[in-house]
Amino acid sequence: MNGRVADHGQRTAAHVQEVFLPVFDLVELWRGEIATLFETFAASGRPLTASVLDPLMHELASPALSAPQGLITGAGFVATPGVLADAPWHLAWWLREIRGLDRGDRGGIRRLEAVEDPESDEFRDYRMLEWWRVPERTGERHVTGPYVDYLCTDDYTITVTVPVVHAARMVGMVGVDVHVSRIEPILLPSLRDAEGTATIVNAQGRVVVSSETRRVTGSLLRDAEVHDALAVIHDGGRTSTVGGTTAISCGDTELILVQQR
Amino acid sequence: MTQLTAGVDPARSVVFAPLSDVGRSELVLQRLQNAITGGVLHDGERLPSESELGRRLGVAVVTVREALESLRDAGLIDTRRGRDGGSFVTFDPETARRFVDARIHGLSRLDLRDAAVQYSAIAGMAAEIAADRASEDDVAGLRELEEQADATTGTGARRAVARFQLEVAALSQSPRLVREELRLQAEIGSLLWLCLRDEHVRTRSSAARGAVIDALAAADPERARSVTLQRITGAVEWLLDEKTRLELESDASAS
Repeated sequence: MNGRVADHGQRTAAHVQEVFLPVFDLVELWRGEIATLFETFAASGRPLTASVLDPLMHELASPALSAPQGLITGAGFVATPGVLADAPWHLAWWLREIRGLDRGDRGGIRRLEAVEDPESDEFRDYRMLEWWRVPERTGERHVTGPYVDYLCTDDYTITVTVPVVHAARMVGMVGVDVHVSRIEPILLPSLRDAEGTATIVNAQGRVVVSSETRRVTGSLLRDAEVHDALAVIHDGGRTSTVGGTTAISCGDTELILVQQR
Repeated sequence: MTQLTAGVDPARSVVFAPLSDVGRSELVLQRLQNAITGGVLHDGERLPSESELGRRLGVAVVTVREALESLRDAGLIDTRRGRDGGSFVTFDPETARRFVDARIHGLSRLDLRDAAVQYSAIAGMAAEIAADRASEDDVAGLRELEEQADATTGTGARRAVARFQLEVAALSQSPRLVREELRLQAEIGSLLWLCLRDEHVRTRSSAARGAVIDALAAADPERARSVTLQRITGAVEWLLDEKTRLELESDASAS
């Protein structure tokens, strides 16, 4: 592998991080706000309710969801069952209004209509879903996807979630959704400059976007070299070269740049 | 050139075809009726308000009101006034069964088969793509879901099948297939999976879902597709047999 390819790879991986950095900062900010709300109510001895939390979350989420052509397409807080006095199961989640083939802005935002009655057929125990399960286990931010988010908009989505902890107990998750169709135009130009094929994948090797049109978004790179290179990244490596394949970790985005000669 | 499209540009003829705006109240009625008679909405469950329903279904309030009136006349909902008022589902198994029977009776064999063909196109393609795109984690997740499936009752089994089909569609990574899956489940799911009333069918259905998971695990798109299509064909055959039985029964009682 020559130095120029490696440099370019590092720059591309850094670019992916830069794209996600403001998203991570925002979620971190909300985590703090919601944790403070829980503390304030605990200190006053009053039980916190969805009727108090929802307006705050709405206020926090609105600017990000209203920004024209913004990356963020969904945002909110999902409660650990039982922590809110007036709602055993609760999703305070808002969505950018998006319609049509171009998945473009149609103006405005709307509340997610979640089924919070466990007896209903349409009820989904959100604790089973990756965006809940993984950060619950690790206690840290997690990037889920890309996946079809059938709980929200049925769009192809990447979800970032962070646990909110109060009094040593996880009280819920704050998070955002980013549509893959909005990431594609942002990441693709930097991939095109690469020598050979450059593909952004998740930890399972699922394609987010690639300079090679035939590497289809949503498919898995099943190549043995890719598999071995990703295993090294999975074990904490920053870069790994196996044969003609180089994998470079895009830092804490949990995404990986795969370059193939 | 085929006889049907002779001299007509099909893309052109579709441009000015009427949008499906007519009979919206009928569509709302059908949707809610299916949900109630299929047991998706539970006995005693309160429906969202008229305006809320209008907003969520994307239709005018007056359209919703019309549909609710028909449901009330049919005895499928009960409307109470006052502070704790609203429209409540009154699901009684006898009424529900009568409705489902009437619906099977009312639909032609052609329409039932055609609906199954459309559903096969969606579910078969979803299974085929999912076999290529499901990771080991995804397959493990599906197996876990299957272990939790309740096969003891028709309603439990229907829930399990609906959930399974949705998950497989999601594994195809195609938002459009997921949307179509959900739409078709709402439209014909309660009829198509009626066969799950039968305990033997429930056992077979569970085994077939296991076979689909195995095909996904083996990254075998053809097998995933063919097992899925067989399941749907089996379901529609059962439904048509049931239809014949109902028709013979009503003929017998008429004579």
